[in-house]
Amino acid sequence: MKLIITDIENFNTSLHLSIKDDYKVIMPHGNIHHCIGCFGCWIKTPGMCVIHDGYETTGAKMGKCSELILISRCCYGSVSPFVKTVLDRAISYIHPDFVIRKGEMHHKRRYQNVISLSAYFYGGDITQAEEQTAQNIIASIADNYDGLVKKVCFYKAEKELEDITL
Amino acid sequence: MKIALINGSPKQSHSTSGTLLADLLHSITGITDVSDSDKPEIAEYSFNQTSVSENELAELQNADAFVFAYPLYVDGIPGHLLSCLTQLEAADWQNRKIHVYAIVNCGFYEGIQAEPALHILQNWCVKAGLLWSGGIGVGGGGAIQQLPTTENGHGPKAPVSKAICAMADAVCAGRIQENRYVSIAFPRFLYKMAAQMGWRMTIKANGGTTKDLGKQHL
Repeated sequence: MKLIITDIENFNTSLHLSIKDDYKVIMPHGNIHHCIGCFGCWIKTPGMCVIHDGYETTGAKMGKCSELILISRCCYGSVSPFVKTVLDRAISYIHPDFVIRKGEMHHKRRYQNVISLSAYFYGGDITQAEEQTAQNIIASIADNYDGLVKKVCFYKAEKELEDITL
Repeated sequence: MKIALINGSPKQSHSTSGTLLADLLHSITGITDVSDSDKPEIAEYSFNQTSVSENELAELQNADAFVFAYPLYVDGIPGHLLSCLTQLEAADWQNRKIHVYAIVNCGFYEGIQAEPALHILQNWCVKAGLLWSGGIGVGGGGAIQQLPTTENGHGPKAPVSKAICAMADAVCAGRIQENRYVSIAFPRFLYKMAAQMGWRMTIKANGGTTKDLGKQHL
């Protein structure tokens, strides 16, 4: 299953993308509450966020996906506040224990799936420095998920995304 | 000189970012080679929601330096703080070259893992027309609040304290410094072991078992 996390409202109808295979989309629907740093998703309801606003199961969905696709406005080299908040609320995908990988401390796996991570950034004024930061962040996220980077690309406008096949 | 200390943790109290800012404040107020009239005026802010109030924004527009402190969340800046930054980017800073510094608290042992989170703020400065003036990536942040207060320059917090003292000097002098990455002076394997013991104790205190830590939802 492909899991798509995007800040594009009405993603299914506003963009006519070609998507192969099964997929699920997490997009803005109602207000999303930001992560409050309580670690309840590790020590109270392991695997699930304790904030019940419709976004609490993202970590579990990530445990079932083969590919994670981020489609987001580029904000200073980061994903947008919405996409970032979804990711912040999904740290239950990983286990709280630490492991050493590539000489650095990371979190242990909770699930056995190896995520292939792609990021499609859009925005009219993405600088070279922001592109570099975005590339580095996606590589770091893949390391922390113990996954792989499949693709990172940049588009000047949301509409340009219509030409891609996911 | 007006310095704004901005705590970007989502926690309302007891945050490591708050502790690091308190250490910075202590260093700033401890700088003795300035006359009373040159002592900086310091204001503290907590950005723990997704937006900044109009009052806070107006006050920030009079500052000469911002010092952000925030936790590393999924290799970047927490979503709520990113939302505040987009709001601040749109503010009118009247071409004032406000210096921006940052301290990133990283739960991993290696402070260098906070590098992308500093670069995001650096890129934000370019967009907002502010002056990036350097940051610190603090590794082993999960232990900061548990570590004893020792004489400055000694004990497991020494590398962090030294970096914070250097930043205090830079902030007060309006100087730009290179990004620095430090870790607590405490063995990595012990930090890892202590953290894992902590998770086991906490889940048990919440009525769970050690096995529950790895629960899967398939």
